[in-house]
Parts: sequence; structure tokens; C-alpha cells
Amino acid sequence: MSEPDKSPNPRWLNEISDELREGVPVRAAWRSRLLDEVAHARRPSADDTYDDRADDTSVGIPDPARPSRGIVLRPLTALAAAVLFAALGAGVTYATLSARGGTAVARSDAPRSAGRGTTLASAARTGDRDDRETVRFTLTAPNAAHVAIVGSFNEWNPVATPLVRDPATGMWIVSLRLPPGRHVYAFVVDGNVKADPAAPRAADDDFGSSNSVVLVSGSAS
Amino acid sequence: MMRVGVVALVLAMATGTRTAAQEPQPDRTLPAQLSASTRATLERLIDSARVAGLPVDPLYSKVREGVFRSADDARVIAAVQRLGRDLGDARSALGDSAAGEEIAAGANALRAGIKPADLSRLRESRGRRGDHPLTVALVVLADLATRGVPPAMAAASVNELVARNVSDGSLMSFRQNVERDLVGGRPAASALDARTKSLIDDAERRRP
Repeated sequence: MSEPDKSPNPRWLNEISDELREGVPVRAAWRSRLLDEVAHARRPSADDTYDDRADDTSVGIPDPARPSRGIVLRPLTALAAAVLFAALGAGVTYATLSARGGTAVARSDAPRSAGRGTTLASAARTGDRDDRETVRFTLTAPNAAHVAIVGSFNEWNPVATPLVRDPATGMWIVSLRLPPGRHVYAFVVDGNVKADPAAPRAADDDFGSSNSVVLVSGSAS
Repeated sequence: MMRVGVVALVLAMATGTRTAAQEPQPDRTLPAQLSASTRATLERLIDSARVAGLPVDPLYSKVREGVFRSADDARVIAAVQRLGRDLGDARSALGDSAAGEEIAAGANALRAGIKPADLSRLRESRGRRGDHPLTVALVVLADLATRGVPPAMAAASVNELVARNVSDGSLMSFRQNVERDLVGGRPAASALDARTKSLIDDAERRRP
């Protein structure tokens, strides 16, 4: 026995409103950006005073004493402005991408060794945003068959970054371009996780053994 | 017609701005290996941290590390909760102006047993040098405490070096030298004391 419909609205209208009430899936990147902006939004302070004349939220009640702030655009003016801004946006985009691409090709930093303190040295400032630095990771493990590095820079993916063995020294080596910042990492030696013996240790042992830390500085230090 | 023009204008502005502002961002998705309910819990935790103005990349990294190390979901959640608390405590100790890296390094130092008051003291000492970050000093501090140096002693030494404007490079060398002494069997207190005095003497000699 079905329950009688007590809603005064027609069924099709209820179905639509139910659907609209359901959550909308949002892309993680958008969500992340929105929350970042919320976090950085100016917080009201105790010094803020309420001024009803400055309250722009009361848009529903026009105040005859205040001049209208509406912008009136003629169709052709609006279209011309749209074309102008589109061209401006494309220009900025092109300039940004060109600067990045050119730098990526032009840069050739000598690799710095992790764990020896040299990772603190600054990458050369080129005026762009790509101030990544080449860091060389090494591990002496002459009897190992396979060594990889995992860390915050490769999403802790054990197959993403294998090290290469130098047959002359038995040393395992990899050079990575890392962005400025503090990176946590570990080696995976034949399936066993091992901290870098030459680098500072991270104290986080939530999942067993501790990790290592490498610092890459993007500014003069 | 006018509405169409205005919409076109807004779209053009939005497209241009968004594309120009796109940066290579770290992956901020949660691994599919975790259950849906675990991902939802983690997203709430991470969102709370983000809204509080804390750095969230260490939290994502912690999640991925847990998955890499085959930790169960409950352990991953516990680790992220703990790190979130540590990040909040570190930010409180270091001040609102602390950079994300400093907060992450400070959280790690707290985990190693350093007291929040020691982080605040370090910030006060470095404060005289303007905006030079404390990240290296905090990393050295965490490392020393992790290697068995009593946290209070490590904090006092690093604070003294920071107050004397010892460079980041010298701090890292200091860490390596203490580590070498410890590996060689020297007691932690003795190694720390000797290396701190040596670095201070060196800094005094170089002073014009």
C-alpha cells in the first residue's frame, strides 16, 4: 500500500526539487581552490563597525537616496569589451607558458647531493616561477638488486623513480628536479624501506621506520 | 543582446584569468585504495586544516605514505589526525606568519619531543634577523632529537646558534658533525656541547 502524497505540489515538481537538493559532485581541484580562498579571506575583526549605508548586501531594497551603481553597457560596447578581454587573457596565457617553456630548456643546474648540506644552496633566480633544483640522491648498497626512491615528490610511488647502479662504485644514484621546499623521502632497497643514512631524519614513524628530509631552497639563503 | 554581451565579457575574463593563474600543483586527490568512507573522513580532516590556514600537502603526503606502506585505513586516519594536531601546535608556537614549510618542520620537531615553548623561543631568536625562515633550524632540531640527543639540550644548542646568526649551511654541517660523533660512540651531551662551542668560536673569529 503506497502512502498518499501529502505534498501540495505536483509529483514532477517534487522530483525535480529532490534532485536539486542532492549534493553535486565537485572536482577536487575546484574544491581545494575554494577552500584555500576561504582560508585566506580577511576575517572580521573587533574593530569592524557596522555601517548600514556601506552594506552592499541589501541589494533587494533600493535606497532612493543612493545613486544606482549599475553598469549600463550597449550591446556593441559589451561585445568589443569581450573581444578585448579575451585577447588580453590569451596574451597573458601565452606569455606565461612561453616563459616557463623557455626556462625549462635553458636551465641546466649542476646536481646537488642530498644529505650533504648542499641541498640548501639556492637555485639561480631567473625571474620565473620554475626554481626547481636538481638534487642527486645516492645510496651505497653494493649487494642490492633494486633500489628506488619514494617520497612526497613522487606520491610515494615505489615504481616511479628507480635508482641506477654505478658498476664501478656499487653506488645507486638518481638525480631529480625538485621544487623548493621540505621533502620527506625514503629508499626502497629490494622491497625494504630504508632512511637515507646521509640525510636528516624525520621524526614521523607513524608507519614503522622513519624517513629522511631534503630541503630545497628557492631563494638565496 | 546586452545580456549576451555581458556574459561573453565575464566568460572571457574568467577564462583568461584562470588559465594564466594555473600552476603545476601537487596531486591533491586521495588514493583509490582507501575505502570511500575513509576518503570522506580524510577529506573532512584535510578541509578543516586548510580552512584553519595550515599547510595541507604534508597531510596528503602522509596519506600516500600510509598507502605505500600498506597501513590499514584506521592507521592512516590516526596518522593524519596526529599530524594535523602537530601542525596546529607548531603554527601556534611559531606564530601566524610562519610559512608552510616552517610549520611542517616545526610539527616534525614537536613529534621528536621538542616543546612548543622551544619553538617559540627559536622564533624570537630568529626574529631579530627579519624574515629569514627557520626551516633548516627546525629540521636540524628534529634530527638531533630523533638521534637520541635530549630534546631540551638540542633545543638550547640550536637556539643559541640561531641567536648568533649562524648560517643554514653551518647548521647542517653542525648536524652532520654531531651525527658523526654519535656514530663514533661519543655521548650526546658531550658531542653537542663541543660542536656548539666550536661553531660559536668559529662565528666569533669571523666577526669583523
